[in-house]
Amino acid sequence: MQTKRLSPLRRFIAIRGMASAMIAFAALIVIYIVFGLREPNVFSTANILNLLRSMSKYLIIGIGQSYLLITGNIDLSLGSVVGMSAMISATLMTHGVNPLIAAFIALLCCLVIGLINGLLVGKAQLPPFIATLGTMFTARGIGYMINGNRNTDAIASGIGKEASDKFQNFFYYGKTMGLYNTFLVAVAVFIVFFFLLSKTRTGRHIYAIGSNVDAAKLSGVSVFATTTKAYMVSAFCAFVVGLILCAQAGMGNMEAGNMYEMYAVAAGVVGGISPLGGTGLLLGTFAGAAVWQTLENGLNMIGAQVGLQRIVIGVIVVFAVLLDVVVRRGSRKRIK
Amino acid sequence: MDDLIVSMEHVYKSFPGVKALDDVHFELRSGEVMALLGENGAGKSTLVKILSGVYARDSGHMEIFGREQGDLTPKQAQELGVAIIHQELNMCRHLSVAENMFLGREKTRLGTLSNREMEAEASTILRDLKIDLDPRKVVGELPVSKQQMVEIAKALSTNARVLIMDEPTSSLTSREIEDLFRIIRELKNKGCGIVYISHRLEELQYIVDRVTIMRDGQFIASMNYQDTTMDEIISLMVGREIREQFPRVSCKKGKSVFEVKHLNAGHLVRDVGFQLHEGEIVGFAGLMGAGRTETTRAIFGVDPKTSGEINLDGRTVKIHKVADAIRAGIVLAPEDRKKDGLCTKLSIRHNIALPNLDTLCDKAGIVRRARETRMCEHAVNSLMIKTPSVDMDVATLSGGNQQKVVVAKWLARNSRVVMFDEPTRGIDVAAKVEIYHLMNKLKQQGIAVMFVSSEMSEIMGIADRIIVMCDGRITGEMTAAQATQEKILTLATRFDKKVATANE
Repeated sequence: MQTKRLSPLRRFIAIRGMASAMIAFAALIVIYIVFGLREPNVFSTANILNLLRSMSKYLIIGIGQSYLLITGNIDLSLGSVVGMSAMISATLMTHGVNPLIAAFIALLCCLVIGLINGLLVGKAQLPPFIATLGTMFTARGIGYMINGNRNTDAIASGIGKEASDKFQNFFYYGKTMGLYNTFLVAVAVFIVFFFLLSKTRTGRHIYAIGSNVDAAKLSGVSVFATTTKAYMVSAFCAFVVGLILCAQAGMGNMEAGNMYEMYAVAAGVVGGISPLGGTGLLLGTFAGAAVWQTLENGLNMIGAQVGLQRIVIGVIVVFAVLLDVVVRRGSRKRIK
Repeated sequence: MDDLIVSMEHVYKSFPGVKALDDVHFELRSGEVMALLGENGAGKSTLVKILSGVYARDSGHMEIFGREQGDLTPKQAQELGVAIIHQELNMCRHLSVAENMFLGREKTRLGTLSNREMEAEASTILRDLKIDLDPRKVVGELPVSKQQMVEIAKALSTNARVLIMDEPTSSLTSREIEDLFRIIRELKNKGCGIVYISHRLEELQYIVDRVTIMRDGQFIASMNYQDTTMDEIISLMVGREIREQFPRVSCKKGKSVFEVKHLNAGHLVRDVGFQLHEGEIVGFAGLMGAGRTETTRAIFGVDPKTSGEINLDGRTVKIHKVADAIRAGIVLAPEDRKKDGLCTKLSIRHNIALPNLDTLCDKAGIVRRARETRMCEHAVNSLMIKTPSVDMDVATLSGGNQQKVVVAKWLARNSRVVMFDEPTRGIDVAAKVEIYHLMNKLKQQGIAVMFVSSEMSEIMGIADRIIVMCDGRITGEMTAAQATQEKILTLATRFDKKVATANE
């Protein structure tokens, strides 16, 4: 018996998670057009560029969290690590440390948190919710202490106006080929981790332990190594977003990245990353982050109150997961 | 005390592809212990599940306490007085004895729990059974035997008069078995009827009044224990003619490839040692819980070993984790494909590639897609896995095809030893034969094949040599030519003399 090669289109749809990702993209387009009809400025080039820049933060942390969700875990420390990255790099820069070196030190600190998460969850087998709750408090606490329990001064005060402008332009205010650099950074991060997840051995292991950790173990997959790699990816993503926030504010804000771990879960889940593990595509996370930002942006533009924005976003997250559960239940019935 | 409390007649039940019960009769009188006997898969569990309301029968009559019953729910069965005590105890480990006994039907006064009342009643029931136990003790802290007694006491507190015990002695010591038997006698005196399911035939003499024997979903015989002999019981249990086809290929037995010496791991792998040769399939027979699965897992590096040596092609190999075993060329197609064998949320491609990524990736760890596609399509074609594409989810495949994927994962690489744990469980006859062909092919290639199965007929039909295990030990070994079902069953039930002291 010869297996048939499916047509490219059918192969595309058959990829698990592709359907949810496409639904999220469709929802994105609908939401965008609905807002645009109410408020034509939504369609303006300036707004589109802004939108892409704002969604970049959600996209990057969404990627980090998606890695964990796919392994069937979660990273609650994500937002705090974002804050820690912003605070460490800003503090160093106010002391005149070269931005490159400051960023490098912040990166190392973030990766240590990722490693600790990996040890606690992958090796000591603590529930990820608890382990990363602990590192969540710890990471922000470290940030506070480094900051001296206040927001830092402007980074320009240490490294000078020129270097500060360069740093801020690179991560936030500058444009390349008409697009904000922030978005380009996000796209670069996306491409790297998309490739890692879909084309490499590590990526396969990440899906495998999320789908069935016992079967993965019996296939020779190291659960500890894989879990740790996922937490390192998430810590790296948090590090990048920390630099973006630092560049945006021009200083190290104590509350930088607050709640980002939850925004990240929302972006992933809306894009079809199953919080139960094993399924989902980063393409979905892209759509999820865009939906999230478009909602925020659109509700803002039509002048909805902040309270209403939060409610709409909350409802959409629950609805997305509900859809996932219903679809799952339906398909399980069919199989049995 | 001789009235019929359960009577089942002409009971039929089938599952997709299997006739689980085929015109079965079963009777239970009050004040008697009825042993329900048969090999694995004979239909014992299906029968008691119908009695306790877990399954609905397809047709047939069932009378409980003289009243005809329709399809029961587990709750209705419980209210009627049918209680089942499972092999794995179902208790909330963090709650007390009394809390467990009254779980779901707590006594309240003005909406608040009246613990004192429940504890007093629990205490009365325990005293009645002569069980020395404080009802306030937390269940998780008790030894298994006491937990089991709590379960029995719980059943009695619901006024159960039909008690089904499924392998109640499997995790008990001889002292504890004695206690259990004493309680069973106590229950008999109270007029309860007890359905006793056990593979430990030598225990029957101490408590059993009558036996019912099943085989292949059919009722075979029912008689007084006094009027029969152990030999007769065994021959009735196994006496089937082999209907299935077992393709056997003969090839020359070569040199020893694989040797396990004095392997110990947990209480179900005790001093296990054996050799596998080129060109032979070695069957591992035994009852469920004999330690065969545990042996394969210990060899494969899934569970830790306490001691032992593993030699491959004359060289000692150290296996600390699964990856070590795979690298050495020792692989395992595990027993429970849903739990251990497959990532059901992933595609056939991802599943087959998973243990072979070391050979499929380049130095940077990037999967070579073309090579992977070739491997997967080759596996799908050579095992005749029925699917339109390797990119389909494994969850969409039938059981037999899923099992083939489990096997396919390991055939894509050059292994020296392949361990199959129950590779044909739950799949249809045609798929079984394909799995047999596959094992034969490996055998012809000079790969050592270890074949664990609880189905005696297939072990006798396929294996060249048969090793029998019981209670974590190897109790015997024979060639296929020497093997008879009686011989295997005798060895498979050679337990340590746990009950020698239970005789009064």
